[in-house]
Amino acid sequence: MLDLWYWIADLSNSKIVALLLFSTTFVGILLYVFTNRHRTERLESYRYMPFEDDEDKVPHGEDGKK
Amino acid sequence: MKHERVETNAGLLIILTLAVISVGGLVEIVPLFYINDTVEEVEGVRPYTPLEQRGRDIYVREGCYTCHSQMIRPFRDEMLRYGHYSLAAESQFDHPFQWGSKRTGPDLARVGGKYSNEWQVQHLIDPRSVVPESIMPGYPWLAENDLQYADIEARLRALRRVGVPYSLSEEEYQANVERFGEEVARWLDISRAEENLVAQARAGNYDGDPSRITEMDALVAYLQVLGTMVDFTQYDEGYFVEFR
Amino acid sequence: MAQSATIPSSQAGATAVPTEQYNYEIIKKFAIMAMVWGVLGMGVGTYIASQLAFPFLNFDIAEITFGRFRPVHTTLVIFGFGGNALFATSYYIVQRTCQARLYGDGLATFTFWGWNLSVGLGVITYMMGFTQGREYAEFVWPIDILITVTWVAYFWVYLQTLLRRSQPHIYVANWFYMSFILATAILHIFNNLQVPVSLFSLESYSLFSGVQDAMTQWWYGHNAVGFFLTAAFLGMMYYFVPKQAGRPIYSYRLSIIHFWALVFLYMWVGAHHLHWTALPDWVSTLAATFSILLLLPSWGGMINGIMTLSGAWDKLRTDPIMLFLITALSFYGMSTFEGPMMSLKSVNALSHYTDWTVGHVHSGALGWVAMITFGSFYHLFPRLWNTKLYSLRLVYVHFFLATIGIVLYITAMWVAGIGQGLMLRAFDEYGNLAYTFVESVVFLHRPYVVRAIGGGLFLLGILIMAYNIFMTITTARREAARVEAKIGAKMARASS
Repeated sequence: MLDLWYWIADLSNSKIVALLLFSTTFVGILLYVFTNRHRTERLESYRYMPFEDDEDKVPHGEDGKK
Repeated sequence: MKHERVETNAGLLIILTLAVISVGGLVEIVPLFYINDTVEEVEGVRPYTPLEQRGRDIYVREGCYTCHSQMIRPFRDEMLRYGHYSLAAESQFDHPFQWGSKRTGPDLARVGGKYSNEWQVQHLIDPRSVVPESIMPGYPWLAENDLQYADIEARLRALRRVGVPYSLSEEEYQANVERFGEEVARWLDISRAEENLVAQARAGNYDGDPSRITEMDALVAYLQVLGTMVDFTQYDEGYFVEFR
Repeated sequence: MAQSATIPSSQAGATAVPTEQYNYEIIKKFAIMAMVWGVLGMGVGTYIASQLAFPFLNFDIAEITFGRFRPVHTTLVIFGFGGNALFATSYYIVQRTCQARLYGDGLATFTFWGWNLSVGLGVITYMMGFTQGREYAEFVWPIDILITVTWVAYFWVYLQTLLRRSQPHIYVANWFYMSFILATAILHIFNNLQVPVSLFSLESYSLFSGVQDAMTQWWYGHNAVGFFLTAAFLGMMYYFVPKQAGRPIYSYRLSIIHFWALVFLYMWVGAHHLHWTALPDWVSTLAATFSILLLLPSWGGMINGIMTLSGAWDKLRTDPIMLFLITALSFYGMSTFEGPMMSLKSVNALSHYTDWTVGHVHSGALGWVAMITFGSFYHLFPRLWNTKLYSLRLVYVHFFLATIGIVLYITAMWVAGIGQGLMLRAFDEYGNLAYTFVESVVFLHRPYVVRAIGGGLFLLGILIMAYNIFMTITTARREAARVEAKIGAKMARASS
């Protein structure tokens, strides 16, 4: 265990350590985002957020008075 | 932790983002401060004299780094053209570093001693009078402006605060004598800064006008010391490779 | 709209700003200043490009020599044009996607003055010869402090507005803007650690020296590109591309993945600006590796943006604003491919210190940053003033001028950079250097002329845009005044 720690702490191995760290996290996020169908549906529903204030039908500001 | 919590909690999003963006900088920058091999042990590199430091200030002021690098890379063509590749030790007293990122003009890391003072002055006043194809701007005002050095002590004090060994006390002076020799240690004495500056400008007469001390004096003094501090004949080539 | 309806009608006049649902006044200010700095910055850019082709243009005037004018150019376009564009669009997007009014009118106005004062004072001090000598961080220390205060205020306004949102999810564009705000704060603070010469001196010396200073500076320098000029503009893309296309973004899941990958990876790559220098080898190898990986999230963003138009490509034929947005994404894809390639140590040995780097920066800065901003602004300005664009035809003219300008610019820089790189490493049959340095300078003259022309065309483009926007606003104001007069007359008739 201590050997492993020394290996990690050795800066000449930093490229491999960094790659391992990065790729496992990345695969984790990939699995999280793409595996569950419910989650997929929920996430994709947010695509419509910019359209929810449908400005183009109602101009801003002055309509409140009418 | 559910990603949903992240998306819906601004504070959590901020903390996670901060953590993620900190990793790269921490891993790459922090070790540079404590790994001893980062800057090699070399004889000869010393802080700038007061006049050279004022020259360096002018180098920074005029934005010379936008067109000139001070970092020779270990390639055959660069070493033939400019000299031995630059060592980390050679810029250890450079606040800020001026390695540059673009060579619209040639590298200046070892320009010291390559040209005479007269050539440097003429070239700075009107570059195309000595190099007809040059696209460098002229800097005639450097020869006209008197060098401002009333604040030279404050400048060296500021540099001392960031770690350059200019000496304030007798103790620091003795340490410099030990590290750089007595002659250099005298140049680095803050209490004698103004006197040293004037003496060097008088003795060097860099701008060819002995009657006054101009910005040209300072800049040429700086250019002439660039890259000359290390005597490379003393070292075996293999020595520097260990630090790369 | 419900919010504004609840407010007493006595306050609902045109000048009583807080009664409107959104704070548009602050966005208008930032957007207009972005245009002003943009015109000035690109003007200075064209001028310094011409100085390199025709050095007499320096005129022996200290204030406008290349060395002092170049930071003026970079500061005006990055912080003046880019910065104001980001303030404007982030304030717009955070309000519209949270459906909440911007927090703190006064604080938001403060960010406007703090930021623009910093840019203005910055360029004046550079011309007077006050600089920190750090690329893209030349601001002297008192301005650094002003920027820090402004930035904290910006963060606070943005965060408080996010907390006011009317639904649980935070739209992805806001993530990009938030990461940009956070990263810029960290970078700005650590790269500007300085000790002033005295309390009343504008000059200062950096806390670090040599290698450590170089690494800090390029960690800053590249992430100024990564977060200021990329992540934040991706935020802009994630709102304006779907809005202008009238279709939702291609994949929301892709946006999540490439967000985290991008913000993580960018911070590692700065050292590729220091290949083959006195920086230890392990750092630059690490930086090169991450630079290659960075291609993936970058292209994730590009694909997500471009595929939004999938099935509606015909919009490109009828909508010049869409042309701007999609061309911007294409240039983004191109320069994020070129970048990793240039960060390979073998390629970098040739490209570093040459104009290839300058060309690469501009394919990103003109092609991506400026084009996505132009597209977004053409969408934004009419909505801010509640009107229509003055002329769509001028948008087309602008688009073609800008595109031709960029193409001329980057091809000239490829020729200049690769040509000079090859010349400087060439040997003759006896093993001597084949060319002197100044011979390569002679070679650069023609590419420099072409580059100045390319920059000039791009400048002409933004001038036409400025005219178009000016006319749009003037027309809108005239229209508003006429409507008001009509109502006034009606009221007068009714009361008499």
